[in-house]
Amino acid sequence: MSGGVTMGRTLKFNIFRFNPEDPASAPRMDAYFLEETEAMTLFIALNRIREEQDPALMFDFMCRAGICGSCAMMINGRPDLACHTKTKNLPAEITLMPMPVFKLVGDLSVDTGTWFRAMNEKVQSWIHTAKRFDPGQEEERMDNALAEEIYEMERCIECGCCVAACGKANMVPENFMGAAAFNRIARFMIDPRDERNNDEYFEVVGNEDGIFGCLGLLGCEDTCPKNIPLQDELGMLRRKMGFSQVKHLFRALLPGKKMA
Amino acid sequence: MMADETISRVGPDRTEAYLDLLQMVTGVVLVAFMWAHMILVASVNLDLGGGRVMNVIARFFEATYMAQVGGPVIAAIMLAHFVFAARKLPFRAREQKAIWKHSLNFNHLDTWLWVIQAATAFIILIMGCIHMWTVLTSLPITAAKSARRIQGGWWLVFYLVLLPMIELHVGIGIYRIGVKWGFIKRAHRKALHRFENRLTLTMIGIGVVTLFTFLVLTKA
Repeated sequence: MSGGVTMGRTLKFNIFRFNPEDPASAPRMDAYFLEETEAMTLFIALNRIREEQDPALMFDFMCRAGICGSCAMMINGRPDLACHTKTKNLPAEITLMPMPVFKLVGDLSVDTGTWFRAMNEKVQSWIHTAKRFDPGQEEERMDNALAEEIYEMERCIECGCCVAACGKANMVPENFMGAAAFNRIARFMIDPRDERNNDEYFEVVGNEDGIFGCLGLLGCEDTCPKNIPLQDELGMLRRKMGFSQVKHLFRALLPGKKMA
Repeated sequence: MMADETISRVGPDRTEAYLDLLQMVTGVVLVAFMWAHMILVASVNLDLGGGRVMNVIARFFEATYMAQVGGPVIAAIMLAHFVFAARKLPFRAREQKAIWKHSLNFNHLDTWLWVIQAATAFIILIMGCIHMWTVLTSLPITAAKSARRIQGGWWLVFYLVLLPMIELHVGIGIYRIGVKWGFIKRAHRKALHRFENRLTLTMIGIGVVTLFTFLVLTKA
Protein backbone atom coordinates (compact mmCIF):
# COMPACT_ATOMS: atom_id res chain seq x y z
CA MET A 1 0.00 0.00 0.00
CA SER A 2 2.93 2.34 0.51
CA GLY A 3 3.45 2.87 -3.22
CA GLY A 4 2.27 5.79 -5.34
CA VAL A 5 3.75 9.05 -6.52
CA THR A 6 4.57 11.30 -3.56
CA MET A 7 3.13 14.80 -3.60
CA GLY A 8 5.88 16.47 -1.58
CA ARG A 9 3.86 17.11 1.55
CA THR A 10 4.33 15.39 4.88
CA LEU A 11 0.95 15.10 6.50
CA LYS A 12 0.51 15.23 10.23
CA PHE A 13 -2.45 13.29 11.59
CA ASN A 14 -3.72 14.05 15.08
CA ILE A 15 -5.89 11.08 15.94
CA PHE A 16 -8.11 10.54 18.95
CA ARG A 17 -7.22 7.35 20.83
CA PHE A 18 -9.23 5.61 23.48
CA ASN A 19 -10.29 2.07 24.07
CA PRO A 20 -13.26 1.98 26.44
CA GLU A 21 -12.84 -1.81 26.82
CA ASP A 22 -9.35 -1.41 28.25
CA PRO A 23 -9.28 -0.14 31.87
CA ALA A 24 -5.69 1.07 31.39
CA SER A 25 -6.62 3.23 28.39
CA ALA A 26 -7.16 6.97 28.83
CA PRO A 27 -8.43 9.34 26.09
CA ARG A 28 -5.53 11.05 24.31
CA MET A 29 -4.43 12.46 20.95
CA ASP A 30 -1.65 10.66 19.04
CA ALA A 31 0.33 12.20 16.18
CA TYR A 32 1.32 10.27 13.03
CA PHE A 33 3.31 11.47 10.02
CA LEU A 34 2.85 10.25 6.48
CA GLU A 35 4.21 11.19 3.05
CA GLU A 36 1.28 12.28 0.91
CA THR A 37 0.83 10.26 -2.29
CA GLU A 38 -1.18 10.97 -5.40
CA ALA A 39 -4.97 10.59 -5.09
CA MET A 40 -4.58 9.76 -1.41
CA THR A 41 -7.82 9.46 0.52
CA LEU A 42 -8.18 9.24 4.28
CA PHE A 43 -9.06 5.58 3.73
CA ILE A 44 -5.64 5.01 2.20
CA ALA A 45 -3.88 7.14 4.80
CA LEU A 46 -5.49 5.43 7.79
CA ASN A 47 -4.79 1.97 6.40
CA ARG A 48 -1.15 2.91 5.86
CA ILE A 49 -0.88 4.22 9.41
CA ARG A 50 -2.39 1.00 10.71
CA GLU A 51 -0.18 -1.21 8.56
CA GLU A 52 3.07 0.68 8.96
CA GLN A 53 2.89 2.49 12.28
CA ASP A 54 0.18 1.37 14.68
CA PRO A 55 -1.70 -1.92 14.24
CA ALA A 56 -3.91 -1.11 17.25
CA LEU A 57 -5.59 1.89 15.58
CA MET A 58 -9.37 1.35 15.39
CA PHE A 59 -11.53 2.70 12.57
CA ASP A 60 -14.35 1.32 10.40
CA PHE A 61 -14.36 0.64 6.67
CA MET A 62 -16.34 -1.56 4.34
CA CYS A 63 -17.01 -0.41 0.81
CA ARG A 64 -14.43 2.43 0.44
CA ALA A 65 -16.78 3.91 -2.18
CA GLY A 66 -19.13 6.12 -0.17
CA ILE A 67 -21.94 3.59 -0.10
CA CYS A 68 -21.80 1.72 3.19
CA GLY A 69 -21.55 4.75 5.48
CA SER A 70 -19.30 3.11 8.04
CA CYS A 71 -16.23 5.39 7.76
CA ALA A 72 -17.87 8.64 8.87
CA MET A 73 -15.69 10.62 11.27
CA MET A 74 -14.91 14.20 12.28
CA ILE A 75 -12.31 15.49 9.85
CA ASN A 76 -10.90 18.81 11.08
CA GLY A 77 -14.14 19.34 12.98
CA ARG A 78 -16.53 18.41 10.17
CA PRO A 79 -18.25 15.06 9.78
CA ASP A 80 -17.58 13.34 6.46
CA LEU A 81 -16.81 9.96 4.95
CA ALA A 82 -13.09 9.17 5.19
CA CYS A 83 -13.17 7.10 2.00
CA HIS A 84 -14.24 9.93 -0.27
CA THR A 85 -12.17 12.64 1.42
CA LYS A 86 -8.99 13.39 -0.55
CA THR A 87 -6.01 14.58 1.46
CA LYS A 88 -5.13 17.10 -1.26
CA ASN A 89 -8.24 19.06 -0.25
CA LEU A 90 -7.08 19.22 3.37
CA PRO A 91 -4.32 21.20 5.09
CA ALA A 92 -1.09 19.39 6.00
CA GLU A 93 -2.29 18.96 9.58
CA ILE A 94 -5.38 16.79 9.86
CA THR A 95 -7.28 16.16 13.09
CA LEU A 96 -9.47 13.06 13.18
CA MET A 97 -12.03 12.52 15.92
CA PRO A 98 -14.83 10.01 16.33
CA MET A 99 -18.35 11.34 15.69
CA PRO A 100 -20.09 12.74 18.76
CA VAL A 101 -23.59 11.64 19.89
CA PHE A 102 -22.91 7.96 19.02
CA LYS A 103 -21.45 5.36 21.37
CA LEU A 104 -17.69 5.05 21.08
CA VAL A 105 -16.38 1.62 20.10
CA GLY A 106 -12.75 2.73 20.19
CA ASP A 107 -10.52 5.41 18.62
CA LEU A 108 -12.35 6.57 15.47
CA SER A 109 -14.94 3.82 15.47
CA VAL A 110 -18.46 4.54 16.75
CA ASP A 111 -21.59 2.41 16.97
CA THR A 112 -24.08 4.01 14.59
CA GLY A 113 -26.01 0.74 14.26
CA THR A 114 -27.70 0.84 17.67
CA TRP A 115 -28.71 4.48 17.15
CA PHE A 116 -30.17 3.86 13.70
CA ARG A 117 -31.96 0.71 14.84
CA ALA A 118 -33.65 2.68 17.65
CA MET A 119 -34.46 5.51 15.23
CA ASN A 120 -36.06 3.18 12.70
CA GLU A 121 -38.13 1.59 15.45
CA LYS A 122 -39.20 4.98 16.76
CA VAL A 123 -40.38 6.29 13.38
CA GLN A 124 -41.78 2.83 12.57
CA SER A 125 -39.84 2.76 9.41
CA TRP A 126 -42.04 0.54 7.30
CA ILE A 127 -45.15 0.90 5.15
CA HIS A 128 -48.26 0.82 7.35
CA THR A 129 -51.12 -0.65 5.40
CA ALA A 130 -54.22 -2.71 6.07
CA LYS A 131 -53.99 -4.24 2.59
CA ARG A 132 -53.04 -7.89 2.47
CA PHE A 133 -50.11 -8.80 0.30
CA ASP A 134 -51.10 -10.96 -2.62
CA PRO A 135 -48.02 -12.52 -4.23
CA GLY A 136 -50.01 -13.51 -7.28
CA GLN A 137 -51.07 -10.00 -8.16
CA GLU A 138 -49.18 -7.45 -10.20
CA GLU A 139 -47.54 -4.62 -8.23
CA GLU A 140 -49.48 -1.39 -7.94
CA ARG A 141 -48.37 1.34 -10.33
CA MET A 142 -46.71 4.50 -9.07
CA ASP A 143 -46.15 7.80 -10.82
CA ASN A 144 -42.50 7.95 -11.94
CA ALA A 145 -41.83 11.44 -10.57
CA LEU A 146 -43.10 10.35 -7.15
CA ALA A 147 -41.06 7.15 -7.25
CA GLU A 148 -37.97 9.22 -7.95
CA GLU A 149 -38.78 11.59 -5.10
CA ILE A 150 -39.06 8.62 -2.73
CA TYR A 151 -35.84 7.17 -4.10
CA GLU A 152 -34.09 10.48 -3.41
CA MET A 153 -34.85 10.01 0.31
CA GLU A 154 -34.07 6.30 0.22
CA ARG A 155 -30.47 7.12 -0.71
CA CYS A 156 -29.57 7.66 2.97
CA ILE A 157 -26.65 5.39 3.87
CA GLU A 158 -27.11 5.88 7.64
CA CYS A 159 -23.55 7.16 8.09
CA GLY A 160 -24.59 9.53 10.90
CA CYS A 161 -22.90 12.69 9.53
CA CYS A 162 -26.15 14.68 9.80
CA VAL A 163 -26.45 13.77 13.47
CA ALA A 164 -22.82 14.59 14.26
CA ALA A 165 -23.23 17.96 12.49
CA CYS A 166 -26.41 18.81 14.38
CA GLY A 167 -26.15 21.49 17.07
CA LYS A 168 -29.27 20.21 18.80
CA ALA A 169 -28.09 16.59 18.83
CA ASN A 170 -24.80 17.78 20.31
CA MET A 171 -26.68 19.66 23.04
CA VAL A 172 -29.14 16.89 23.94
CA PRO A 173 -27.57 13.70 22.56
CA GLU A 174 -29.97 11.37 24.38
CA ASN A 175 -33.28 12.34 22.85
CA PHE A 176 -33.14 14.39 19.67
CA MET A 177 -34.28 12.43 16.61
CA GLY A 178 -32.05 14.11 14.04
CA ALA A 179 -32.24 14.68 10.30
CA ALA A 180 -31.85 10.99 9.42
CA ALA A 181 -35.11 10.27 11.27
CA PHE A 182 -36.87 13.24 9.68
CA ASN A 183 -35.71 12.11 6.25
CA ARG A 184 -37.02 8.65 7.02
CA ILE A 185 -40.45 9.81 8.14
CA ALA A 186 -40.75 12.29 5.26
CA ARG A 187 -40.13 9.35 2.93
CA PHE A 188 -43.18 7.50 4.28
CA MET A 189 -45.30 10.65 4.35
CA ILE A 190 -45.05 11.08 0.59
CA ASP A 191 -45.54 7.35 -0.07
CA PRO A 192 -49.21 6.80 -1.00
CA ARG A 193 -49.00 3.17 0.12
CA ASP A 194 -48.48 4.20 3.73
CA GLU A 195 -51.91 4.70 5.29
CA ARG A 196 -50.79 6.61 8.38
CA ASN A 197 -52.63 9.93 8.73
CA ASN A 198 -51.14 13.30 9.74
CA ASP A 199 -51.98 12.84 13.41
CA GLU A 200 -50.18 9.51 13.50
CA TYR A 201 -47.04 11.08 12.02
CA PHE A 202 -47.48 14.02 14.39
CA GLU A 203 -47.52 11.63 17.34
CA VAL A 204 -44.02 10.47 16.37
CA VAL A 205 -42.35 13.65 15.14
CA GLY A 206 -44.47 16.61 16.31
CA ASN A 207 -42.65 17.27 19.57
CA GLU A 208 -39.51 18.70 21.14
CA ASP A 209 -37.43 15.61 20.35
CA GLY A 210 -38.77 15.77 16.83
CA ILE A 211 -39.13 18.50 14.23
CA PHE A 212 -40.10 21.23 16.73
CA GLY A 213 -36.84 20.73 18.59
CA CYS A 214 -34.87 21.27 15.36
CA LEU A 215 -33.01 24.60 15.49
CA GLY A 216 -32.76 24.84 11.70
CA LEU A 217 -28.97 25.24 11.73
CA LEU A 218 -28.68 23.20 8.52
CA GLY A 219 -25.51 21.44 9.64
CA CYS A 220 -27.16 18.29 8.27
CA GLU A 221 -27.93 19.86 4.90
CA ASP A 222 -24.38 21.17 4.54
CA THR A 223 -22.61 17.92 5.44
CA CYS A 224 -24.74 15.06 4.10
CA PRO A 225 -22.24 13.12 1.95
CA LYS A 226 -25.07 11.85 -0.25
CA ASN A 227 -26.39 15.37 -0.76
CA ILE A 228 -29.93 14.40 0.24
CA PRO A 229 -32.14 17.54 0.13
CA LEU A 230 -32.54 17.69 3.92
CA GLN A 231 -33.26 21.42 4.06
CA ASP A 232 -36.29 21.01 1.80
CA GLU A 233 -37.49 17.87 3.59
CA LEU A 234 -37.18 19.30 7.08
CA GLY A 235 -38.95 22.46 5.91
CA MET A 236 -41.75 20.39 4.41
CA LEU A 237 -42.05 18.34 7.58
CA ARG A 238 -42.17 21.37 9.89
CA ARG A 239 -44.72 23.09 7.66
CA LYS A 240 -46.91 20.03 7.35
CA MET A 241 -46.74 19.20 11.06
CA GLY A 242 -47.04 22.84 12.18
CA PHE A 243 -49.66 24.24 9.83
CA SER A 244 -51.92 21.22 10.28
CA GLN A 245 -52.21 22.24 13.94
CA VAL A 246 -53.41 25.80 13.28
CA LYS A 247 -57.08 24.78 13.40
CA HIS A 248 -56.46 23.05 16.74
CA LEU A 249 -54.67 26.14 18.03
CA PHE A 250 -57.69 28.33 17.28
CA ARG A 251 -59.91 25.80 18.98
CA ALA A 252 -57.61 25.78 22.00
CA LEU A 253 -57.51 29.57 22.23
CA LEU A 254 -61.21 30.22 21.65
CA PRO A 255 -63.62 29.73 24.54
CA GLY A 256 -66.12 26.87 24.46
CA LYS A 257 -66.19 23.13 24.80
CA LYS A 258 -62.81 21.55 23.99
CA MET A 259 -62.46 18.52 21.84
CA ALA A 260 -59.33 16.44 21.37
CA MET B 1 -43.72 6.27 27.94
CA MET B 2 -44.57 7.55 31.39
CA ALA B 3 -48.05 7.12 32.80
CA ASP B 4 -48.65 10.85 33.16
CA GLU B 5 -48.07 11.26 29.44
CA THR B 6 -50.86 8.85 28.63
CA ILE B 7 -53.42 9.71 31.32
CA SER B 8 -56.31 11.77 29.99
CA ARG B 9 -54.77 11.91 26.54
CA VAL B 10 -57.02 11.17 23.63
CA GLY B 11 -55.30 13.02 20.81
CA PRO B 12 -51.65 13.96 20.36
CA ASP B 13 -50.10 16.67 22.55
CA ARG B 14 -49.88 19.68 20.26
CA THR B 15 -48.16 22.15 22.62
CA GLU B 16 -44.78 22.14 20.88
CA ALA B 17 -46.39 22.81 17.50
CA TYR B 18 -48.32 25.75 18.94
CA LEU B 19 -45.22 27.19 20.57
CA ASP B 20 -43.16 26.83 17.41
CA LEU B 21 -45.90 28.46 15.32
CA LEU B 22 -46.24 31.32 17.81
CA GLN B 23 -42.46 31.78 17.88
CA MET B 24 -42.50 32.14 14.10
CA VAL B 25 -45.55 34.43 13.95
CA THR B 26 -44.33 36.78 16.72
CA GLY B 27 -40.92 36.78 15.01
CA VAL B 28 -42.38 37.84 11.66
CA VAL B 29 -44.48 40.57 13.32
CA LEU B 30 -41.41 41.94 15.12
CA VAL B 31 -39.27 41.86 11.97
CA ALA B 32 -41.95 43.80 10.09
CA PHE B 33 -42.25 46.25 13.00
CA MET B 34 -38.49 46.80 13.29
CA TRP B 35 -38.03 47.53 9.60
CA ALA B 36 -41.07 49.84 9.53
CA HIS B 37 -39.79 51.57 12.71
CA MET B 38 -36.36 52.12 11.15
CA ILE B 39 -37.83 53.64 7.99
CA LEU B 40 -40.21 55.91 9.92
CA VAL B 41 -37.50 57.21 12.25
CA ALA B 42 -35.23 57.72 9.23
CA SER B 43 -37.82 60.23 7.96
CA VAL B 44 -35.85 62.78 9.98
CA ASN B 45 -33.25 62.64 7.20
CA LEU B 46 -35.78 63.79 4.59
CA ASP B 47 -35.51 67.46 5.53
CA LEU B 48 -31.93 67.12 6.74
CA GLY B 49 -32.82 66.92 10.40
CA GLY B 50 -35.49 69.63 10.35
CA GLY B 51 -37.91 67.10 11.79
CA ARG B 52 -41.03 68.38 10.00
CA VAL B 53 -41.80 65.03 8.36
CA MET B 54 -40.85 63.00 11.43
CA ASN B 55 -43.00 65.15 13.73
CA VAL B 56 -46.02 64.77 11.46
CA ILE B 57 -45.59 60.99 11.45
CA ALA B 58 -45.13 60.91 15.23
CA ARG B 59 -48.21 63.08 15.74
CA PHE B 60 -50.23 60.76 13.51
CA PHE B 61 -49.28 57.73 15.63
CA GLU B 62 -50.11 59.54 18.86
CA ALA B 63 -53.37 61.13 17.66
CA THR B 64 -54.59 57.67 16.61
CA TYR B 65 -53.29 56.19 19.92
CA MET B 66 -51.19 53.72 17.93
CA ALA B 67 -48.12 54.70 19.92
CA GLN B 68 -49.81 54.62 23.32
CA VAL B 69 -51.49 51.26 22.67
CA GLY B 70 -49.21 49.81 20.02
CA GLY B 71 -46.04 50.49 22.04
CA PRO B 72 -46.98 48.29 25.00
CA VAL B 73 -48.42 45.69 22.60
CA ILE B 74 -45.08 45.47 20.80
CA ALA B 75 -43.33 45.20 24.17
CA ALA B 76 -45.65 42.33 25.10
CA ILE B 77 -45.06 40.60 21.75
CA MET B 78 -41.32 40.97 22.25
CA LEU B 79 -41.50 39.37 25.71
CA ALA B 80 -43.73 36.59 24.37
CA HIS B 81 -41.33 36.00 21.48
CA PHE B 82 -38.47 35.72 23.96
CA VAL B 83 -40.36 33.12 25.99
CA PHE B 84 -41.30 31.10 22.89
CA ALA B 85 -37.78 31.20 21.47
CA ALA B 86 -36.06 30.61 24.82
CA ARG B 87 -37.38 27.01 24.68
CA LYS B 88 -34.57 26.39 22.21
CA LEU B 89 -31.82 28.12 24.17
CA PRO B 90 -29.33 26.19 26.27
CA PHE B 91 -29.64 27.43 29.86
CA ARG B 92 -27.68 24.63 31.48
CA ALA B 93 -23.90 24.88 31.65
CA ARG B 94 -23.54 21.39 30.16
CA GLU B 95 -25.63 22.32 27.10
CA GLN B 96 -23.91 25.69 26.72
CA LYS B 97 -20.52 24.03 26.77
CA ALA B 98 -21.66 21.43 24.24
CA ILE B 99 -23.02 23.95 21.72
CA TRP B 100 -20.02 26.26 22.13
CA LYS B 101 -17.56 23.41 21.58
CA HIS B 102 -19.61 22.23 18.60
CA SER B 103 -19.72 25.74 17.10
CA LEU B 104 -15.95 26.20 17.43
CA ASN B 105 -15.04 22.76 16.04
CA PHE B 106 -17.65 22.64 13.30
CA ASN B 107 -17.16 26.30 12.30
CA HIS B 108 -20.29 26.34 10.15
CA LEU B 109 -21.92 29.60 9.05
CA ASP B 110 -25.55 28.85 9.91
CA THR B 111 -24.56 27.47 13.30
CA TRP B 112 -22.71 30.73 14.03
CA LEU B 113 -25.73 32.74 12.86
CA TRP B 114 -27.83 30.98 15.48
CA VAL B 115 -25.21 31.68 18.17
CA ILE B 116 -25.31 35.37 17.19
CA GLN B 117 -29.10 35.35 17.42
CA ALA B 118 -29.04 33.71 20.84
CA ALA B 119 -26.50 36.21 22.18
CA THR B 120 -28.16 39.31 20.69
CA ALA B 121 -31.54 38.17 22.08
CA PHE B 122 -30.49 38.90 25.66
CA ILE B 123 -28.97 42.28 24.80
CA ILE B 124 -32.09 43.28 22.86
CA LEU B 125 -34.36 42.09 25.67
CA ILE B 126 -32.71 44.46 28.15
CA MET B 127 -31.82 47.41 25.90
CA GLY B 128 -35.11 47.19 23.99
CA CYS B 129 -37.06 47.46 27.25
CA ILE B 130 -34.99 50.47 28.34
CA HIS B 131 -35.55 52.15 24.97
CA MET B 132 -39.31 51.52 25.00
CA TRP B 133 -39.70 52.72 28.58
CA THR B 134 -37.76 55.91 27.88
CA VAL B 135 -39.68 56.77 24.71
CA LEU B 136 -43.16 55.75 25.85
CA THR B 137 -42.96 57.50 29.22
CA SER B 138 -42.01 60.81 27.63
CA LEU B 139 -44.50 61.13 24.80
CA PRO B 140 -44.98 62.94 22.50
CA ILE B 141 -42.12 61.90 20.24
CA THR B 142 -40.49 64.85 18.50
CA ALA B 143 -37.31 65.13 16.46
CA ALA B 144 -35.95 67.76 18.87
CA LYS B 145 -36.48 65.50 21.88
CA SER B 146 -34.81 62.54 20.17
CA ALA B 147 -31.92 64.78 19.14
CA ARG B 148 -31.50 66.03 22.71
CA ARG B 149 -31.10 62.44 23.92
CA ILE B 150 -28.55 61.52 21.25
CA GLN B 151 -26.58 64.72 21.77
CA GLY B 152 -26.32 63.92 25.47
CA GLY B 153 -23.67 61.36 24.54
CA TRP B 154 -24.53 58.21 26.47
CA TRP B 155 -27.68 57.51 24.49
CA LEU B 156 -25.58 57.70 21.30
CA VAL B 157 -23.40 54.87 22.61
CA PHE B 158 -26.55 53.02 23.68
CA TYR B 159 -28.07 53.18 20.19
CA LEU B 160 -24.79 52.42 18.45
CA VAL B 161 -24.89 49.09 20.32
CA LEU B 162 -28.63 48.41 20.07
CA LEU B 163 -28.85 49.19 16.32
CA PRO B 164 -26.55 46.43 15.01
CA MET B 165 -27.87 43.97 17.62
CA ILE B 166 -31.44 44.45 16.42
CA GLU B 167 -30.62 44.45 12.72
CA LEU B 168 -28.48 41.29 13.02
CA HIS B 169 -31.14 39.49 15.05
CA VAL B 170 -33.93 40.56 12.72
CA GLY B 171 -32.05 39.86 9.48
CA ILE B 172 -30.78 36.46 10.56
CA GLY B 173 -34.18 35.71 12.08
CA ILE B 174 -36.18 36.22 8.91
CA TYR B 175 -33.67 34.15 6.89
CA ARG B 176 -33.81 31.35 9.46
CA ILE B 177 -37.62 31.37 9.53
CA GLY B 178 -37.45 31.01 5.76
CA VAL B 179 -35.18 27.96 5.75
CA LYS B 180 -36.70 26.34 8.86
CA TRP B 181 -40.28 26.47 7.63
CA GLY B 182 -39.36 25.56 4.08
CA PHE B 183 -40.28 28.92 2.51
CA ILE B 184 -36.69 29.18 1.27
CA LYS B 185 -35.73 26.13 -0.76
CA ARG B 186 -32.25 24.70 -1.24
CA ALA B 187 -32.09 26.18 -4.74
CA HIS B 188 -32.55 29.75 -3.48
CA ARG B 189 -30.82 29.61 -0.11
CA LYS B 190 -27.51 31.16 -1.16
CA ALA B 191 -29.06 33.99 -3.14
CA LEU B 192 -31.62 34.87 -0.48
CA HIS B 193 -28.98 34.75 2.22
CA ARG B 194 -26.86 37.20 0.26
CA PHE B 195 -29.93 39.43 -0.16
CA GLU B 196 -30.62 39.25 3.58
CA ASN B 197 -27.01 40.25 4.34
CA ARG B 198 -27.28 43.28 2.09
CA LEU B 199 -30.63 44.25 3.60
CA THR B 200 -29.16 44.03 7.11
CA LEU B 201 -26.18 46.19 6.11
CA THR B 202 -28.53 48.70 4.45
CA MET B 203 -30.66 48.91 7.60
CA ILE B 204 -27.61 49.42 9.79
CA GLY B 205 -26.45 52.10 7.31
CA ILE B 206 -29.79 53.91 7.49
CA GLY B 207 -29.62 53.71 11.27
CA VAL B 208 -26.13 55.18 11.44
CA VAL B 209 -27.08 58.02 9.08
CA THR B 210 -30.17 58.74 11.20
CA LEU B 211 -28.09 58.82 14.39
CA PHE B 212 -25.68 61.21 12.66
CA THR B 213 -28.58 63.46 11.67
CA PHE B 214 -29.87 63.54 15.25
CA LEU B 215 -26.38 64.19 16.56
CA VAL B 216 -25.31 66.91 14.17
CA LEU B 217 -28.14 68.32 12.08
CA THR B 218 -31.24 68.35 14.27
CA LYS B 219 -31.70 71.28 16.68
CA ALA B 220 -32.25 69.89 20.15
